[in-house]
Amino acid sequence: MSSMAILRMDRVSKHYRSNGVDVPALRHFSRDFEPGEFVALVGRSGCGKTTLLNLAGAMDFPSSGEVWIGDQMTSALDDAGLTRLRRTRIGFIFQFFQLLPTLSVAENVELPLLLAGAGDARTKALDRLEWVEMADFAHRMPHQLSGGQMQRVAIARALVHSPRLLLADEPIGNLDTTTGNLVLNLLRRAASERGATVLMATHSPESTSIVDTVIRLRDGVVEEVNHPACTV
Amino acid sequence: MHRLKLFHRVILRPLLAEPSRGLLTLVAVSLGVAVVIAIDLAGFAAAGSFRSSMESLAGKAVFEITASSGIPEETLGRLATLPLPLRFEPRIEEYVTDEASGVTTSLIGIDLVAHAQRNVVVGEQTGLEILDNPRAAWVGAGLGKRPGEDLRITIQDRSEVLQVAGVFTEQDDGAQTGPNRVMVVDFPVAQALTGRAGLVDRIEVGIPEGLDEAETRAAIEAVLPPGVELRPFGTRTDANRRMLGAFRWNLRILSGIALVVGAFLIYNTISVSVVRRRGEIGVLRALGVTRGGAQLLFLAEAAAFGAAGGLAGAGLGTLMAQGAVGMLAATVNALYVTSTPGTVALTGWHLMASLLLGMGVSLVAAFAPAREAGSIAPVEAMARGRREYDVRVHAGRNALWAALLLAMGAAFCGLPPVDGRPLFGYLATLLLILGTAMLLPLLIVLLNRLTQRRVHSLLGVEALLASRSLAGSLRRSAVLVGALSTAVAMMVSVGLMVGSFRETVLVWMDNQIQADIYLRAAAPSSPDNYPPIDTAVGDAIAALPEVHAVDRFRAVSLMVNNRPATLGFADSQMMRTLGRTSFLPGQDREAILRKLPVGPYVIVSEPFSQKHDARPGDTLRLPLPDGPFDVTVLGVFNDYSSERGTVFGDARVFGPHFPREEVTSLSVYLKAGVPLEAGRAAVEQSTANRRVLLFTNRSLREEAIRIFDQTFAITWALEAVAVFVAVMGMAGALVALVIDRRGELSLLRFLGASKGQIRGLIYFEAGLLGLISNTVGLALGFALALILIYVINRQSFGWTFQFHWPGMLLLGALSLIYAATLASAWFPARVATRLNPIEVIHEE
Repeated sequence: MSSMAILRMDRVSKHYRSNGVDVPALRHFSRDFEPGEFVALVGRSGCGKTTLLNLAGAMDFPSSGEVWIGDQMTSALDDAGLTRLRRTRIGFIFQFFQLLPTLSVAENVELPLLLAGAGDARTKALDRLEWVEMADFAHRMPHQLSGGQMQRVAIARALVHSPRLLLADEPIGNLDTTTGNLVLNLLRRAASERGATVLMATHSPESTSIVDTVIRLRDGVVEEVNHPACTV
Repeated sequence: MHRLKLFHRVILRPLLAEPSRGLLTLVAVSLGVAVVIAIDLAGFAAAGSFRSSMESLAGKAVFEITASSGIPEETLGRLATLPLPLRFEPRIEEYVTDEASGVTTSLIGIDLVAHAQRNVVVGEQTGLEILDNPRAAWVGAGLGKRPGEDLRITIQDRSEVLQVAGVFTEQDDGAQTGPNRVMVVDFPVAQALTGRAGLVDRIEVGIPEGLDEAETRAAIEAVLPPGVELRPFGTRTDANRRMLGAFRWNLRILSGIALVVGAFLIYNTISVSVVRRRGEIGVLRALGVTRGGAQLLFLAEAAAFGAAGGLAGAGLGTLMAQGAVGMLAATVNALYVTSTPGTVALTGWHLMASLLLGMGVSLVAAFAPAREAGSIAPVEAMARGRREYDVRVHAGRNALWAALLLAMGAAFCGLPPVDGRPLFGYLATLLLILGTAMLLPLLIVLLNRLTQRRVHSLLGVEALLASRSLAGSLRRSAVLVGALSTAVAMMVSVGLMVGSFRETVLVWMDNQIQADIYLRAAAPSSPDNYPPIDTAVGDAIAALPEVHAVDRFRAVSLMVNNRPATLGFADSQMMRTLGRTSFLPGQDREAILRKLPVGPYVIVSEPFSQKHDARPGDTLRLPLPDGPFDVTVLGVFNDYSSERGTVFGDARVFGPHFPREEVTSLSVYLKAGVPLEAGRAAVEQSTANRRVLLFTNRSLREEAIRIFDQTFAITWALEAVAVFVAVMGMAGALVALVIDRRGELSLLRFLGASKGQIRGLIYFEAGLLGLISNTVGLALGFALALILIYVINRQSFGWTFQFHWPGMLLLGALSLIYAATLASAWFPARVATRLNPIEVIHEE
């Protein structure tokens, strides 16, 4: 394991029980993810992308193998420990934005800090909104935003507590190409400028051109690992 | 058929998949129906029982002859001379207590010779020789006696022993009269037992078919002496029923509150159902289901809840009625008329009523959300990412409607009763409840705006999320607050009314109860039945060295303007000098009481004044034993002892109109310096051979307040059920809320919320809903209390009482409700913390 790895997955397998049958979702996945690395997980639906993100995000435990986030092995933590880990080191971005409709833009962004009991939440939230160029929309409600704007707010929320690991599940799956590119650029910047390790599950072939590493999964197994030559 | 399949797949299957949510709504509806049915069944059994087996003994009668203090026996002789084939059934009637069982029942004296000859009395021993036994009594099977057994009874102020000569085997209509417990003795035996030698209480008149009733009536009236009147059979029973009408109406209205609360919850359940199946409705609409079809699906869901709740409510209501009938009968006895509880029986009619009630309320409540289901546009409903339901609550427009409803409610408060019933008062309360419910969305929005800056810093992120969630799902929050605040408001208003009434009665008793010792006969008594005490008892007590004075009071039940009332008379000068009876404001107590003994004057109680519209200066015609007697009303006095209404006069004016000297209660004033215990011992000794009840000043107050509290116990029970239904509904609604917002709750887990924070969020929502409901309920309850006290109570019962805040009681009740609301969040919070965020977000 690299001493610098933000996330280390060591022979990780995950099985689900469905109607009494063991269904493998991920098999013997091993890899270290470095700071500032932007990784795309690609493959067909059901290939294990989301399972991998959930394991990496301390939302689920592996059936076998180990997941280390920094110096913490997720299987060794209880619910409170996992919650602390998510509060401090992990940010999530979803395909359908998942903004709380009853909170304003700024309140949505500061929410992880409020849940963690951190101070100065509003200032940090406004700072991240500035970073995604949404500061002018801070007091609007989510239903007053376009899809792309909502996803930028979601990125600001995911970054508000300066996580080392950013997990994005189909972040541009619900956006048009132009808006999708804008969002991809933001994720690229999060990796490059803020040093966050970004893991992005995607179906979009175009999005792989912007990342450092493309991991192609098939039936829960790594089929191919690419390192695109150029970045945007 | 295809509709049924659709109903099963779209509505029934998801409901069965989440049984906790459906079950709680079902329980709420069935409880609402059960309370209404229970009160009707119990009210009927309690009120219906005074018809009693008395009326079923003699067969069908057309007229009855009565007099306010007994009919001279020679009247029968005169009636017998009429050249008409009429049947006359003279009767003596008295309430007695079976000392072995403590059961109150009727002792009836009838002409057993005539009955035996006509084989009317059915018993195991029908030979006429039994009539030689002066203690022979035939008893109903309900008393559980055997022939030959001794039967010890308390009658008036004595204890007597009869012998069971036979047991009635015939059954009454159990639903109306309950078990047959009547005691029948021969006419002369009854006269001896009741001390009514030469008198008859009532003569029933049977007319053969073909005889002209009007001509017969005229012929009978021609031979009746003054003071004796002929009236249609059952007049007294009907009058009693009418008198009980207001009492039963008010109970019915109160019992409906739980149903109204249940309706709020049905509305909520169907709304949630519509919201959650929005996508499915969109698909169905796209596949060809019409607007009406979609609407029908949800109405069918409500009807299913209503039908199941209605049927369950019928069964539950019957059980509840068994418990309530005793309480209601005690109230009827204390305030109106002698009554023995009848049997609670669920009839086909009640079953049908339960079903219709459950379905009717559910369908009405579900109408708006079902209509909304029909208006969902397929494309919009199916669009992903827009699952959040945009509830179009027009808070401002609703507020205008609310203002209109509240204004109408206020206007209705000024309108008079309809047929003696405060219909406009009831309408005003309904409008007030509806108006407040329509104000709630605006209130919640304003509250959210006012607190949004402070709520997080003061109470934390859970409170922020909870308050936003409530404001964000306005309609649901408003309905929940509407349900709970209605229940709270009714409890507060009834609490204020009963508390004010109780306080007023306490103050009134301080004035009214001035004597040291009170006595009355031990036999059963009620506002229509005053068993006499031997006049010698009063004389003996007056002669005691410890006694300063004895006030001899006589009460007589009579009909004034076809309504039952009580005529009381005593030495009014003793009332003037020793008593402290208070009059309505502006009336000169001293002048009125000085004038009372000098002519045909009376004072009337406030309920009497209200019911008969009798004011000072008005003339009343009283049916006294020697004929109608016109009296002038001098004043209206405060009286909370009976709702029937009392006319009071001086013994010197009224005594001569009655054939016998009689007293029904004694008030004993001890000499100054005589210790109460010594006085009491002396009085007890002088009445040792009598069956009298003796109360000291203090114990009489305690007894009165015990009866008062017992009277309102049923009211509290009804309120408790309404609050319970609301809290149950709250639990159900919170579960629905958790299920509905599981995506949001799961997202919070992704964003770093701990399970404790999720739990806290649900508790905060419950706490906020409880807080708003309690606050709104308190304000609404205060307004409703004003209507209850100054409109409904005055129009129903004629009492005025002073407003009083039972602070500790309300604080305790509200705290309890708040704690129950918080407790209702336990299960939903458990559901929320057990959600699997990965699965939920994946589904979303």
